[in-house]
Amino acid sequence: CDKGFTELNTNPNAPVVPDVDYMFSQSILKGNYVYDRAYFYTSYITCGNYVQHFATAKEISVAGSGDKYGVYDFYQSFYFRYTYTNVLTTLRELIEAAQSPELVNKKSAARIWRVLIMQRITDLYGDVPYSDANKGLREAILLPKYDPQEQIYADLLKELDESIAAFDESKLKFGKADFLYEGSIPKWKKFAYSLMLRVAMRMTRRDPAKAQQWAAKAIQGGIILDEADQAVVKYSNGPQIYNNNPVAWEIVNQDLQRGANGVNNTEWGKYSKTFIDYLKNNNDPRLSVVSVVWNGATPDNTPALQKGMPNGTDGKPANFGTFSEPNPATILQYSAPLIVLSRAETHYLLTEAIIRGWASGNAAAAFKTGMEAAMKNWALFGAAGVIPQASIDAYTAAHALNTGGTLDAQMNQIHTQFWVASLLDEQEAYANWRRTGYPVLTPVNFTGNATGGTIPRRLPYSVPEQGINKKHYDDAVARQGPDLLTTRIWWDKQ
Amino acid sequence: QSPNPVQLSGTVTSAADGQPVIGATITLANAKNVGAVTDPQGHFTLRVPASHGPVQLIVTFIGYERKTINVPAGQTQVDIALGENTKALNEVVVTALGIKKQRKAVTYAMTEVKGSEFTQAREINVADALTGKIAGVNASSLAGGPGSSSRVVIRGNGSFGSDNQPLYVINGMPIDNSTPNVPASGNASIGLNADRGDGIAGINPDDIESITVLKGATASALYGSRAANGVIMITTKKGVKQKGIGVDFNSTLTVETPSIIPDWQYEYGQGQKGLKPVTQADAIASGRLSFGPRIDGANSMQFDGVSRPYTAQKNNIKNFYRTGTTFTNTIAASGGGDFGTYRLSLSDMNNYGLVPHQQLNKKIFSLSLTGNLHKRVTVEGYAQYNIEKAVNRANVSDAPGNPNWGTYMLANTVDVRNLAPGYNTLTGAETLWNPSGFASNPYFVVNRFVNNDDRRRFIGNVSVKFNILDNLFLRGRVNHDFTDVGWTGIVPTGTAYAPKGFFQQQTNGITETNGELTLNYSGRLGKNFTLDAMAGGNQRKAKTNNVILLGTDFSVPNFYDPSNVVSLTTTNQNIRSAVNSVFGSVDLGYKDMLFLTATGRNDWFSTLDPRDNNIFYPSIGASFLLSEAVKLPGWINYAKVRASWAQVGGGTPAAYVLTQTYSLVPGGGHLGQPLQTPTQTVGTTSGLLNAPNASLKPYTSTTYEAGLEARFLGGRLSADLAVYNRRTTDDIVQVSISPASGYNTTFLNVGEMNNKGIELMLSGTAVKQPDFSWDVTFTGSYNKNEVLKLADGLDRIQMDVAVNSYAFIFAEVGKPYSTIKGYKVKKNAEGKTMYNKANGFELTTGLEDLGTGVSPWSGGINNSFSYKRFNLSFLIDGKFGGHVYSGTNLYATRFGLHRITLPGREGGLTVTGVDDENKPFTRTFTYNNDLQAYYDNYKFQSERFIYSSDFIKLRQVILGYSLPANLFSFAKFQSVSLSLVGRNLLILHKKAPNIDPESTFNNSNAQGFEMFGVPRTRSFGLNLMVKL
Repeated sequence: CDKGFTELNTNPNAPVVPDVDYMFSQSILKGNYVYDRAYFYTSYITCGNYVQHFATAKEISVAGSGDKYGVYDFYQSFYFRYTYTNVLTTLRELIEAAQSPELVNKKSAARIWRVLIMQRITDLYGDVPYSDANKGLREAILLPKYDPQEQIYADLLKELDESIAAFDESKLKFGKADFLYEGSIPKWKKFAYSLMLRVAMRMTRRDPAKAQQWAAKAIQGGIILDEADQAVVKYSNGPQIYNNNPVAWEIVNQDLQRGANGVNNTEWGKYSKTFIDYLKNNNDPRLSVVSVVWNGATPDNTPALQKGMPNGTDGKPANFGTFSEPNPATILQYSAPLIVLSRAETHYLLTEAIIRGWASGNAAAAFKTGMEAAMKNWALFGAAGVIPQASIDAYTAAHALNTGGTLDAQMNQIHTQFWVASLLDEQEAYANWRRTGYPVLTPVNFTGNATGGTIPRRLPYSVPEQGINKKHYDDAVARQGPDLLTTRIWWDKQ
Repeated sequence: QSPNPVQLSGTVTSAADGQPVIGATITLANAKNVGAVTDPQGHFTLRVPASHGPVQLIVTFIGYERKTINVPAGQTQVDIALGENTKALNEVVVTALGIKKQRKAVTYAMTEVKGSEFTQAREINVADALTGKIAGVNASSLAGGPGSSSRVVIRGNGSFGSDNQPLYVINGMPIDNSTPNVPASGNASIGLNADRGDGIAGINPDDIESITVLKGATASALYGSRAANGVIMITTKKGVKQKGIGVDFNSTLTVETPSIIPDWQYEYGQGQKGLKPVTQADAIASGRLSFGPRIDGANSMQFDGVSRPYTAQKNNIKNFYRTGTTFTNTIAASGGGDFGTYRLSLSDMNNYGLVPHQQLNKKIFSLSLTGNLHKRVTVEGYAQYNIEKAVNRANVSDAPGNPNWGTYMLANTVDVRNLAPGYNTLTGAETLWNPSGFASNPYFVVNRFVNNDDRRRFIGNVSVKFNILDNLFLRGRVNHDFTDVGWTGIVPTGTAYAPKGFFQQQTNGITETNGELTLNYSGRLGKNFTLDAMAGGNQRKAKTNNVILLGTDFSVPNFYDPSNVVSLTTTNQNIRSAVNSVFGSVDLGYKDMLFLTATGRNDWFSTLDPRDNNIFYPSIGASFLLSEAVKLPGWINYAKVRASWAQVGGGTPAAYVLTQTYSLVPGGGHLGQPLQTPTQTVGTTSGLLNAPNASLKPYTSTTYEAGLEARFLGGRLSADLAVYNRRTTDDIVQVSISPASGYNTTFLNVGEMNNKGIELMLSGTAVKQPDFSWDVTFTGSYNKNEVLKLADGLDRIQMDVAVNSYAFIFAEVGKPYSTIKGYKVKKNAEGKTMYNKANGFELTTGLEDLGTGVSPWSGGINNSFSYKRFNLSFLIDGKFGGHVYSGTNLYATRFGLHRITLPGREGGLTVTGVDDENKPFTRTFTYNNDLQAYYDNYKFQSERFIYSSDFIKLRQVILGYSLPANLFSFAKFQSVSLSLVGRNLLILHKKAPNIDPESTFNNSNAQGFEMFGVPRTRSFGLNLMVKL
């Protein structure tokens, strides 16, 4: 009585076998901005407002929660809710499908990419599911336990180390399916070592010895120092939404809107006054690259006209249209590249490592190269991003590293530049700001804020998760501290 | 005397109405073992043994007088008219699979409603007209505009995983009742959030002979898993044997107006902090804020830069919405002869909705045939074809693209008509009236959005019956239901929240095919026993083919075609499933007083793991006629008790959920590289993953029920009482799991839910005079629902969430299904309100229960009077014990329209209580000091907007006049009647302010949210019925 039922119950619209290459392409493309709105909710509205790159005039209970330190579960838990499912499950399934020794290079690249994403999750929330994560299907672990961040960090380093060691030039490689490096093993190794440096440096305050050990190992192994080795995903202007740069797409479609002309932004978002003031006060040539003010239907990038909106602005101000916002000719192009890991970042971290005595080299030179790289990288955004060499030289000369200064003073210099350079990579900007404390930002103290007027140190766990996975949530909170915006995560603890 | 047996045949009819009497027993007076039973046409054939003559027949049937007839020798044909016996109830009812049974033999609760109940005062969706008519049936129509879906729940929600709606059956065979689009309760960013109707909406009330509702599982056990929530069986009209052609014409014209106009405050007008807008920017900034100064009639700036008098605009609802009209015409021709019968009907329903530019047209053609091919072979066929066209269905709930939102929330001193046409005629850009682009300009939406669907539907059903012997027949039936829906939804160029627009197009092809073969026996075992037995099988195949086009960014403005979007993806969904079944039933009767019924069905499901894919469901029931068995007092004419037990399996998993698949991402991939992802719950774009579970099986629903039916006072009063207990175990629960597991949900067979209840129907004739009669029918029911178990370690599931998470609907262990939860104002031990020291706003509790969205009590009273040629009937119905969370009242409060925001406008509002440390606290809010923010903050105090959804409505009134036929003697009319009809005329009682408590906007399991639906209407009109 059930003849033909098995065939009938086979989905004709989806293969039953995964293709390792296609799954990897998807993992890279969705990348750290895993799902629609991930960039908007996590990076732009939340982290980007915390670090005062951006400002949002909306109410504290909704889209202004990042600007004014409110609690809004829907935005703040978004990364947790969508990243495990939309990228890590894809990676898990492809790693399962790549167990053959012939596929070791593909498997290693997937493991390295997983480290980048896993670090982003733990840096936002602290202790999170890790060793039990993504085991809902094969191991039927429906309610994974939360691992202490310290252990997660240890395993991220181990994963990088093992994956680098496992690469084998004689085995199959990803070709064009790898949007970062087309399967190049040397480049993947540099990317992995750069991630190792990022992971290691995050631990400077908490476990300096380990930070030193792994930072030194990474630098010795060979980090990204040349433009050609940077991790950059290219996008095209359509035809599909996923072909567009997710940063541009999200900012435009969730807030600035084509045709809004700086006046009818749906979430009342602008550049922060803090950010624009800094660029202006330092004659930063990047100002006219990244920022415009709308004059009617025309974007005007004249530096003198640029003006940021103060964080904590309550309601759409009458002069809303006069504030600066991202430049349609660079940042907001749908075909803009997405820089996942730049040599500016590696150079800044290298500078810090040299100052700390963890690496050899010339700190001032590394810092200068970092600033140059940060400015030259805008040329990847097209003609409107090209900054004349003279302007770069003038800027680097005016901001040379004060090698005679205290560690704090030099950290301030390095990480203020890091902060400027990490515009758009808001999650990294926020993590680095929490670790270093630079630049010194003046918090807002808005009525009804949830932090007592301090910039949040982490995001609360997802509210549905608290009910669903209560025991493990309770364990994590008991270990880490109250589930608040103000609780510091392991590497951020004083 | 003839040496051979004589074959004697004939027809038994009712003397009262000439209709055939089915199931009457004919026996020979001098040989009780020779007999026959009449078939559905009232025919019988009897073989009289040669040795017996003269022939004396005894004809009996419950409800009729016993009749003895002498048949002269040589006569082979006899027609018998039976006189009614008022002592007992005579009724033949249609039960599962279309099996006709004497009512006395039915062991469970069932209710039959005549088709004429739906044809005078109409609802566009016939299921909506069940409201208040049947005890235990909770029918709610939605605030989704004309042609939207219905929600019918019989004896409570039984399952977490299924939609809890009954199976709809036409002429014994199931049809499809899927809802292609269920509007979201939460944030709807794209804005195309309209209900596009369900399957039952495609049935023309004029084609319905009767609707029978099988409430219990015993009744539905024969239909298998899909009948776990009850069955609504529709029997279509057929032609009758007559001379010439009978023609029926039915025409109804009704007009509709909003049933509720909100009672906003009109003391303080548009503005913020007590100030009128001065500039256009001010006026836009306060476009939805009525926190201005006292309304004074002097000029004030408005959103369009024009200064107008600052006066109360109380007629915005009336001015924006138009008067809706519905004009329905049906013409039917029928007739028949010895060859068989036919009925052909054509119907046209044209509705112009309240919302400007909204239109719905349905044309339904139906043909019903019966044929007597051979003396042993009869054929019945039914075919229906629908052509439906809906234009501009209204989006509901969240603000984007919802024309109702702005109409209700516009500041109270702005005339809504000034928002027209809603866009700049040169650029096409939406005219902003408020600071948020998401709160659409109502005129822009009605003038520029597109939300159109075209629907074609074919239902065909053929039944062939072969009478192998007089009491044994074989019947084969095939039913095919095919719906093709083409929908286009456009968010146009120039929309404030999406200036380049969105394009969506869907083609849905929904097919259901059933083939059934049964062998049926009906006979006697000796003198005292009757035996009916049936065995058969059914094959069901269902197929849904969807093509979904999603596009963004129109290149050429206002031209809407897939070729014109920058980004386009196409998704195919081909969902196929099959169920094979065998089933059987045995009915045993003893002396017309005790009846036993047993049924069994075994289903094999394609969607289950082949290792364990079949389930057996048994049922057993008994009915006992007290009035036949013992002598009851004279005023009790009929009394029957019944009891039954049944198990039905239901809620099988959807197709393809047993194993993980990997979908290619549509749209060509990235930089020439294909993309692939583990299959998500809706194609590749939902971002939600379900962990496959191969070990699923259907849930089990076990029902015990008992009932009592009685007639008193010579049939003047009758009662039907039922009690039941229905428990669902092993329910398939889609459990939310930690997303860190890599998946959002998985299906587990763990849920348990219980419904117990009581249903009562009383009907009586209060007055019966030659010229005047008064009949009253009362129905009432109570259902207690309790969630017993969800999953290990899981005591609640969030079923739905209101916009911006202001309220939630949960299923929680120990509570009724659809429990509304939200936040309450925090009180200290002494009951004093606690305030936040910093801002002075009330502190709130965690999530607490606020009520249930499903009313446990419901009932209706119908009175009908007839006086000479006039008749008047009115139906009053009500529901009690439920709650509704009102988004309309919430937003009206945030924006200062609600009367509760009046205190403090002048002189300030002082709140007193305690702070979070229990120290006395007081604060005065004034216009300049956070008064607006204080009222706005009420949004976090969900309990302020939870209301009892109790209501009593004057649901339906019909005043009819039957014209004397001789007036039209020239035209040979048999009858002409004219009626004034009204639906939803008055709300006699309600507690929820400013809204109709019946204003939920989708037919999902999560009931209890109201928010900016299309206004519910009161309608009145004229109905003309002509027969010739």
